[in-house]
Formats: sequence, structure tokens, C-alpha cells
Amino acid sequence: MPLALALSPFLVLGFGALLIMLAEAFGSRRGGMALGSTIVLFATGLTAAGLWMYGLENLKGLEAVAPWLLLDRFTLFFQMLLCLGSALAALTAGGYLPEHELDRGEFYALLLFATFGAMMVSASGDLLTLFLGLETMSLGAYAMTAFRKASPRATEGALKYFLLGSFAAAILLYGFALLYGATGHTDLAGISKVLRAGAVKDPMVVTSLVLILVGLVFKVSAVPFHAWTPDAYEGAPTPATTYMAVVVKAGAFAMMLRILLTAFGDAQSMSWSAGWPPVLAGIAVLTMTVANLVAGRQESVKRMLAYSSIAHAGYLLVGVVATMRAPQQAGASVLFYLLGYTVSTAGAFAALVLCGSRGRETVSYEDLAGIGRRHPAVALPLAFFALSLAGIPPTVGFFAKWFVFRAAVESGFYVLTIVAFLNSVLGAYYYIRVLVYMYMREPAVGAPVAVPMRSGYVVAAVILSAVMVIVLGVAPSDTLDVAVAAALSPG
Amino acid sequence: MTNALMTLFPPDAFTLVAVILGMPLLGALINGIWGKRLGNNAVRLMALTAIGVSFVAALLSFLALDTLSHARKDEHVRLVWTAWEWMTTSGKDSAPIGIDVRFSIDALSGVMMLVVTGVGFLIHLYATSYMEHDEGFARFFAYLNLFVFSMLVLILGDNLPLLFVGWEGVGLCSYLLIGFWYQKAENAAAGKKAFLANRIGDFGLICAMFLIAYYCGSLDWKGIADHASNLVSSHEAAQVHVWPLGGGQYTGVLSFLQPKSPFTITAATAVGLALLLGCTGKSAQIPLYVWLPDAMAGPTPVSALIHAATMVTAGIYLVCRMSFVFVLSPFVMTMVACIGAATALFAATIALVQNDIKKVLAYSTVSQLGFMFLGVGVGAFTAGFFHVFTHAFFKACLFLGAGSVIHAMHARIHDGDLSQDLRKMGGLRKYMPLTHWTFLGATAAIIGLPGTSGFFSKDEILFKAFINRSEYHPALKGTLERLHAFQPPTWLGPVLYGVGVAAATMTAFYMCRLYFRTFWGEFNGWKVGTPSEVAAQEHGEHGHKDHGNDHLQIVAGPAPKESPWPMTVPLVILAAFSVFAGFLNPGFHIFALPPMEHWLEPVFKDVMESGTIAVRAGGEHLEFPLAAGGVGAFLVGTSVAYWMYIAQKRKPADAIAAAFPRLHRLMLEKWRIDELYEATVLAAVDSLAETAAAFDQWIVDGILAKVSSAVVVALGAALRVLQNGVVHVYAAMMVVGLTSIGWFFVVPHPEAVVTETAGDYVIVAGPGMGYGYRWDADGNGRPDTETFSDQATVRVHLDLGKSQVVRLEVKNAFGFTAGREISLSRPKPEPTLELGSLGGQIAPMGRQNGGQN
Repeated sequence: MPLALALSPFLVLGFGALLIMLAEAFGSRRGGMALGSTIVLFATGLTAAGLWMYGLENLKGLEAVAPWLLLDRFTLFFQMLLCLGSALAALTAGGYLPEHELDRGEFYALLLFATFGAMMVSASGDLLTLFLGLETMSLGAYAMTAFRKASPRATEGALKYFLLGSFAAAILLYGFALLYGATGHTDLAGISKVLRAGAVKDPMVVTSLVLILVGLVFKVSAVPFHAWTPDAYEGAPTPATTYMAVVVKAGAFAMMLRILLTAFGDAQSMSWSAGWPPVLAGIAVLTMTVANLVAGRQESVKRMLAYSSIAHAGYLLVGVVATMRAPQQAGASVLFYLLGYTVSTAGAFAALVLCGSRGRETVSYEDLAGIGRRHPAVALPLAFFALSLAGIPPTVGFFAKWFVFRAAVESGFYVLTIVAFLNSVLGAYYYIRVLVYMYMREPAVGAPVAVPMRSGYVVAAVILSAVMVIVLGVAPSDTLDVAVAAALSPG
Repeated sequence: MTNALMTLFPPDAFTLVAVILGMPLLGALINGIWGKRLGNNAVRLMALTAIGVSFVAALLSFLALDTLSHARKDEHVRLVWTAWEWMTTSGKDSAPIGIDVRFSIDALSGVMMLVVTGVGFLIHLYATSYMEHDEGFARFFAYLNLFVFSMLVLILGDNLPLLFVGWEGVGLCSYLLIGFWYQKAENAAAGKKAFLANRIGDFGLICAMFLIAYYCGSLDWKGIADHASNLVSSHEAAQVHVWPLGGGQYTGVLSFLQPKSPFTITAATAVGLALLLGCTGKSAQIPLYVWLPDAMAGPTPVSALIHAATMVTAGIYLVCRMSFVFVLSPFVMTMVACIGAATALFAATIALVQNDIKKVLAYSTVSQLGFMFLGVGVGAFTAGFFHVFTHAFFKACLFLGAGSVIHAMHARIHDGDLSQDLRKMGGLRKYMPLTHWTFLGATAAIIGLPGTSGFFSKDEILFKAFINRSEYHPALKGTLERLHAFQPPTWLGPVLYGVGVAAATMTAFYMCRLYFRTFWGEFNGWKVGTPSEVAAQEHGEHGHKDHGNDHLQIVAGPAPKESPWPMTVPLVILAAFSVFAGFLNPGFHIFALPPMEHWLEPVFKDVMESGTIAVRAGGEHLEFPLAAGGVGAFLVGTSVAYWMYIAQKRKPADAIAAAFPRLHRLMLEKWRIDELYEATVLAAVDSLAETAAAFDQWIVDGILAKVSSAVVVALGAALRVLQNGVVHVYAAMMVVGLTSIGWFFVVPHPEAVVTETAGDYVIVAGPGMGYGYRWDADGNGRPDTETFSDQATVRVHLDLGKSQVVRLEVKNAFGFTAGREISLSRPKPEPTLELGSLGGQIAPMGRQNGGQN
């Protein structure tokens, strides 16, 4: 029974997803699907929150599912985070899909099952369950990307995502296989034990780390494994983009932290001469710089947000690198950053959806011109999300960056921090540009004028994210304490 | 009831503060966002409910505080509520300084809170009628509610940063409300002026915060009070070096700047001066007072609430709050008193001749604020604060009365400027009896009619100005006197008293002049001309033939009439307080222990007992003789005004103005201080700005920005080429990435960290996946061992003046090797510099030490 309680987030989400699927198959009304999915996701998140407060240490018999599923505070944190991100995506979908006549119920089933996969990734302590969860999550995301079947762009983006994703999955799986071959273990703790005993000298282990790193950085869409991202993000329906940017990315970071800190948490693998931190540091620098440079050149806001999500992966990688020296602090900063990034990005996409309606979407900066005057209630939250993504107080984005940079500075990564800081200055350009267009430009004469859509779902998503962006930006310390409690320690 | 209150809201988690603060904020949000849609009635209800509930909650808190202070006799009690932990910063020696969003109510902030919510409620009520026909009704109340919220944050905040949040919040609201009718350019300009003048003050406040964080290691009131003694110290190191700046050395061509002995001040003086700058900005004292008279461009209720009763007294509140810092520096105390006295006198001279009813009251406010500064500057904190309290009533009443008059005048002449002009008024007591009587009551208070509130509060200040003297803390007296530290001269007290009496005389005169010209005599508002017509007529170029030679047009319309009840009820209540509130703190031993003094005693107890405020010998017995000055000022000022404006019907006033035309003009133009600032400070800033703009245009924009933006654009364009949509290219990029990562692991990176103690060098090779190490530690050019092992550390000993090369070879999992040479040298120490212990650091440091990629 305690085990069932500990697994309750999975159970609630799994049964909820099945119910939604059945309702889709046998029900006649589609209107309630978004609401149903949101309720399921919030119920899951609340279950996880309840478990957090009750304390997993009060539950006996959790080792029965270990090492396949690790039920710890890290898992619970990600369960809450992933459910929040998915719920925001589901709410956005509730307005977006009917508006664009894509209202087919399987979207919500895909979304819920993919979230199930992501939760499994964050909980898994074994390469097999990890891969299972990863594929469950990815397949759902591929299908959601291709949801707009009639659009060649969407199909093209989804196909690229699928092809390259499979490529990366194959590389990852190959790395797993080599690791199993070298250590004889598929569970992360067992692998760690064998590596510490000396197996780390095996060239097969080093090779497997190379392959696994490639797989991981592909999933977080870091440069140079990012190329699929803008195409897929732009082609996908916006709720699916939200999902990819928020849930898939958080799941991928959960996977990265689990594998790197648990399996490769020994001194050699975490070394600066030949280990994963310098690789990730290099990739972080490359990712931030390239993404920010290219994002500044975009004319489409959605594409800009795609590059923005790549750039944020770069800042997050800085935090991951810092776990080498300050696992608790840096790990907590990564978790807090993911939360801030989730509400800011999901909010930005939702606000962007809200700004336009069918045939009058807001795609480019030009479409946003003057919207601050015409529809202030729609423009204001978008402005807040842009400020948060740029890292300007009093929004959560500021504290998220602050905590990551502080962790990096206190671990002695000065050059890395300076590069990250300069990049956030560079990034402010294209976020502020959103505000400039909204409040200081008027649309060109004769240009199509965006008309905000009307949808309670999207408004709910915007309000929820906006409240969190401000509240976490004004009073971050309690949430940071939660993140500190959830952070993984190496080995 | 109080027991239930204490159980419901324990003193250390006094959540009732959330209601006091939350209601005005809620009102501001609702009126600001939905106000237009809700309609005027809902806005009125919301605004009044917000402040009303806040006031009731404040009253309950006051009761709770009273109960608590009775329970804990003679203690400085606070009701505290910590909303959340805000942030942590670090002070000296990286000691953490926690900054929480914490609010506290003590005797001082409790009184202030009641004034803000109570007077605030009355003014809100008044404004619902005054602003009734304004288009921006909802916007007005949103700002006004937001102001009350910010003011409460300022008062109730338990630490300096939180006070600063409120400080900036009231500044913002003041800016928004001064420029409320922003369509008129001069209103917007007045708002801007207020904002900028306040920024200068804020700079001081920020500096003070940094200094306090550094010296006291705390930013909340209790922490600062506990560590205030750090601010004064006889140690040379604890002094702030003013010149040379920071205690540096000027050498070379600049050596002539080097003084013979450095000029230092105590940290308390530095903090006090910085705080004082902040206070002069907010409380409109010399030299930053110029914004307040212009601020009267805002609606009259705003002038009453913000620019008379509450916000402008924030400076005095801060001095009282930080009294334990101020008294540590007699120099700062003297500055406070002198600035206050000078402002009181200076502003009063300008008020003598102004013709705009609100301008007179504005300069009167500046002058009264000067009195308050004088009070707190001579260490009479209770007296200064009591004047804040009484002034809130009588000045709010005067402004609201003026508003009532303007309202009535405007209904008749429909001209914004003329309906404020004293020359168009007169005889209004017939038409507006309630306004007249309440105005008279408030005037009696401000001119110090014995028995009214203003008399008691002003008299106490003058008395204390004469007898008090600031001194150094007894513990430091000897040391600081040896350092020739500043001592206030003995003649200062009588001089301050004299200036105060002169200012009080002028106050009595100009207030009576205002009163007589508004309410007595004949009504002059029957005939009206626009200012341009008046000017045209003066130049003999009258264009309007229709009116013949008479430029003044008789306006048909009703006679001025009394304002509706929402405007008169606040007037009556405020007038009653103006007249009778003095009995809360009368001097002359009327009460054995005056209530206000008793109430505030715990707040200022430590300061008063610290021995920093000395009393002139025998000064206690001078209270009655010195009261003669205040009473005399009242008698002289009033009778001169009566003689000039009633008995002689303005003839003497016109004669004086004609006899000294230039002086009269100069005073009418406010001593041309604005023009002086324009010509000096602003011109200097302008030329600096132009230089900076030129630099910006040619160097920053021209060269730096163009080059860097060209680089960014070129890089972005180049990178976009790779993003061409072809999936093979994407896959190829992944392969390149995979190969690069692989390459990093295939090539070994030998790295090492060297540490040295007394010639023993420890070299630790950096770890890496699958690394084996081989050393050549003896420097013979051959590896010490044939095989690679796990030995990652070698030790080498060097004698003084010797050097050696150690070679490290690394072999990785794939069998590739790489080497690195580490040269160690230990130079002979140079006896004069004593740098010997640093010798080993010259050897190359392993990159692991820095940790960058």
C-alpha cells in the first residue's frame, strides 16, 4: 500500500490518460477534453505535492521498484514541474486547437502519455526504464508536432525531428549497450559502483560516455545538435511547441542529471581534464552564443522563441557544469531555472496564441506592432514573459539566472559565467524587441492586423503563468528551498 | 476585546498588517484595471472601503499595541509580521545580511499609520466630490489608493530597503498625481521636476544604505540600533576618508593634491549626511525644495494628502526612525537644524507676497517642514514629530478649504488659474460659512493662537531649539575632541530660536493675509478677464472693441456657494483636530506626563539617555519666558496683517510694494532660485550631457556599436546559412559534434596543480577518465618509472634560489600519451619586500585551479 501511494502520481496520470482516451473514443463532445486533461495533470501534480509534504521517508517498501524507478524528492519535483508544463500546454491547446480547426481528441491522449513518459524518465534509475520513458515521451512529441497534417511545413518539421531524434536515440542506445558491456550493469547505481572500482579506465566506458553525451545534448537541443529545433518548433501547432520547449526539455534535463550525476559521478568522470563537465561547458558556450546570435536575426516570434529555448538550454548547461563542484547548490539552481523557464516560455507561447486568431495569427514581430495600445490586457502578460526570459527583475527569470550564475561563480567558473552573462545581454535585444513592437510601433498601413482570440483556456494559462512569473520573481526563497531539497547528489 | 485581538494576532505574527496594507493595494488594482468599466459609483465605493477598512484595522492595531506596551512596561514594543524572506546579501567580511519583507508597528509608525489612513480617508471622501466631474475619476483613485499603500509600506517597513520601496512608491504616485492633468505641458513638467529632485535625494538614501550595511552589518531597525556604535570609533581605520578619497596616496604630478594630514569624518557623519540628502529631497528642504511649490499643479486633494500631510513628512519620519544614528554626529544634527531653520525663514519670505492661494500654502508647507527639521535637528524628536502630527491636520484642512474655495470660484469663473487667484476672491465668508469657519480654525492653529495644536507643537520646538545642544557620545568625547572634531557653537541655540521666531511672525502675517483676502472684504470675482486680456490692456493694445475700455467682463452666473457635504464633513473634522489636538502634547506642565510624549518615550528613550543631547544650564526653567517669542510672533504677525488688509484696506501693502519694487518683484519671483539653478547646475549638467552625447554619437554609436553590430550581423548571417532546412546538413552537424566530443576524449590533457609550503612542492595531476601518470620528478630528463600508474601526486623539495623542471606524462584509456613540463623555481627572498612566501606561485598553475574550459 505505501508503494501504491508512492506511485500514485504515475497511477493518477496513467488512469487519467486512459479515461481521456476512452472519453475521446466514445464521447460525442470534444469541448471538455482540454479541461479533463488539465484536471488530470493538476491532480497528478497535487498528488506529487502531497507526497512531498508527507515525506517519502515515511513510506516503507519503496525499494521494491528500485532501481527501475527511484522514488525520491528529485522525482517528485520533476513530477510537479512536468505536470505544470503539460497543463499549461493542454490549456493552450484547449483554445488553439478549436480556433484552428484541429480539434481532434488524440492530441490530449498523446500529451498525457508523453508526460507519463517524461515522468518515468525523471524517476528512472535504470538504463532500460530510462530509454522506455524517453521513447514514450519522444513518440508523443513527434506525433504532436505532425498534428497539422495538411500543412507541409508541419510534416516537414516533424519528419526532421523524427529522423534526427531517431538518429540520436540510436546513438544513445549504442552508448547504453557499450556501458552495459563494460560494466555488466544497466542500473545507474550499479554502473557507478563498477566505475569507481576501476572500470572507468576501460576505453569502452569512455566511448559510451561520448555517445551518451551526444544523445543527451540532442534531447536538450544544444548546439550543434539543435538544427531540428527551429523547424520543428515553427511547424508544430503552438501547444505542441510549448510542450516540446517545456516538458521535453525538462525531461531531458532530468535524464541528464540522473545519468551524469548518478552513473558518472566519480572523480574521473567529473574531472576537468577528461570528463563530461568540460564537454558540456564547451557546448554551453557554443549553444548560448550561436542561439543568441541567430535569434536576433529572426523575423518570426515563434522561431525566435525556438532559438530562445536553445539559448536557455545553454544557461542550464552552465548550471549542470557547476554541479561538478557544488552539486547541491548548482543542482538546485538548475531545477529552479527549469521552473522559471517553464512558466516564462509556456506563458510566452500562450500569450502569443492569445494575440492572434484564425487567419490573423501573430507570427512575426510586425504582427505585434501596436498591440500594446489596442489590446493592453493581452500585451501586458506577454511583456512580462519577455522580460522574464530576458532575466529582468522583478520576474522569475532574473532570479533563475542569478542563482545559476552565482552557483557557477562560487564554483570558480568565472570565464563561463562571463560568457553566459554577456550572452544574456545579447539575448535581451530580441526579447526587448517584442516590447518595442508592442508598445512603440504602429502596424504598417494596409498590413493585416492581428485580432486576439477569445478563449478561457488560454487566458487561464496566461494568468497562471503570469502569476507564477511575478510571485516567484518577488519571493523566490521558499521555492528555492524546495529545489535545494530536490537536488541530486553525485554517486 | 483586546485579549481576543492579541490571541488572534500575536505580536510576532501580526497578520492584521496584511489587511492594512492589502486593502489600499486591492483598491488600486481594481480601480486601475476595471475602474472605467465599473463606473464612478463603484470606484467611489471601492476607494472609500479600501481606506476605511485600512483605517479600522489600523485603529485595532493601535489598540493592540497599547495593550502590549502596558503589559511590557517601558519597553520599545513592536508588532511584527514577516511576509516572506526577500533576499540575503552580504556585508563586511561577507557576513550575511538577511533582508525580509517584514513590517512592524511601534509607537512611532503606529501614530504615523493612523494619520495616513485617517487623514487619508477624509481626503478620499473629499475627493469623491471634488473630482466628481473629472474624466480620469477611476485613474485618480487608483493612484491615490496606490499612494496610501506605498506610504504605509514606507512607514511600516521594518528595514531600510523596504522603506526605500515605499519611498520610491510614494515618489512615483506623487509624480503621477502632480501630472494628473498631463494634457497641460506645465503640469507634466512639474511632475518631472518633482521626480528628478527626488532622485537626487534617493541617491543619498541609497548611499546611506550601503554605508549602514557595511558598518552595521544589518539593515533592519533593531539591527542598526544594536550596531550603531560601529559608526563612531576612535580608530583611525573606522573613519571615512574624505580627502584623499578613500585614504589613497597621490603621487607623481598629482602629488600637490596630497594634504598634510588626511581629512576624515566619522562613519556616522557620512551616513547622517547621506540620509539628510535623502530627507531634504523628500521633505522639500533647502536646496532641494524647489519641486514642492510646482507640485501644486496636481488636484487639490493630492496637495492636501501627499504634499502637505503625509509624503513630505517622510523625511522627518526617517530622521526620527534613525535618530540613534543622527545623534552620533553633532555635525549632522547641526546641519539638520540649520537647514530646517533656514528653510523655515526663506520659504516664509516667499509666501508673504504670493497671490495664488495654493502657492501661499505650498511655501507655508515648506516653511513648516523647516520647523519640523529644526525640531528634530536639536534633538527634540518628540516635538518635531508632534509638529508632523498637528501639521497633518491643519495643513490638510487649509488645503481642503482652499480646494473648497477654488471649487466654488471655478463654478463661477471657469478658469483654472484665476479661480486660485487671491485678487479675485474676498468676502467669501458670506457665501461659504462652513469653509470659512473651518479655515479660520486651521489658520488659528498654524499661526499659533495659544491653546491650539499648532501653538503647542511650534512652541515646544522653539523652546528646545534654544536650550538643546548636540554633543558627542560621552564614551567618545575625549578622543574626538582631541581630533578637533566639530562642536556646535554656544550661540547657535539663541540664533536658531531667533530665526524660528522670525519665521513664525511671517507665518502669522502671510496666513492672516491669505485669510483676510479670501474671506473678508468685498467679493472681487464678479468681473473677470483672461490673463492675456489683462496683459494686452496693460500695453494699450486692446483688440476687443466690443467691450470698450473695460477689459474686465462681468460674468453672469451664480454667486459662489458652499460645497456639498462630502467636502465639508472632512473640513469640520480636520478643523476640530487642528484646534484641539494640541492637548495631546501640551507643554507648560499642564499635564504631568503629556500623552504623546509618554507614548513615544520608549522609541526615543535610548537616544535621550545616551547623553548626546545636552541641555543648557537652567534651561528647564526658561519654558515660560521663551514662550513669549511664539506668542509675540502670533500677536505681531496677526495685528500687522489686520492693520494692512482690514483697517487700511491693503494700502500699506501696496505702498511697500511700490517703495521697493525690485525687492517685491524678486520675492514674487521666489528669489529666482529656479533661474539660479537653471543657470548653474542645470547648465553644467547640460554641457556635460552634450559632451557625453557627442562621445556617444561619434565613439560609441559611430565606431563601437557599428563594429560590434556588424560582427553580430555577420556571424548571425553566417550561422543562418547552416540552418538551410536540409536534413543531411543537420545530420552532418551532429556528426561533427560527435567527432569533436570524441576528439576531446581521445587526446589526453595533462594538467597539474602546484602548491608550495616552505620549499616543499606538491604537484597533483588532474584526474581524467582512464588516465595513468608517469613522472620525471628528479629532473634528469628520463621518466622515473617505465610504466604508467595511478600515482597522481609527487613531492619535490627545492632550496632557496634553486629551480627545477618536473615532467608529467599522461596516458589515457585509448593508449594515447601526452606530456607537460612544470618548471619550479624558488627565488631568494628580497629582504625589503618580504615576498619570499609567494615564490612558488610563479610556476605555471594547473588550469584546474581556475576551472574554466
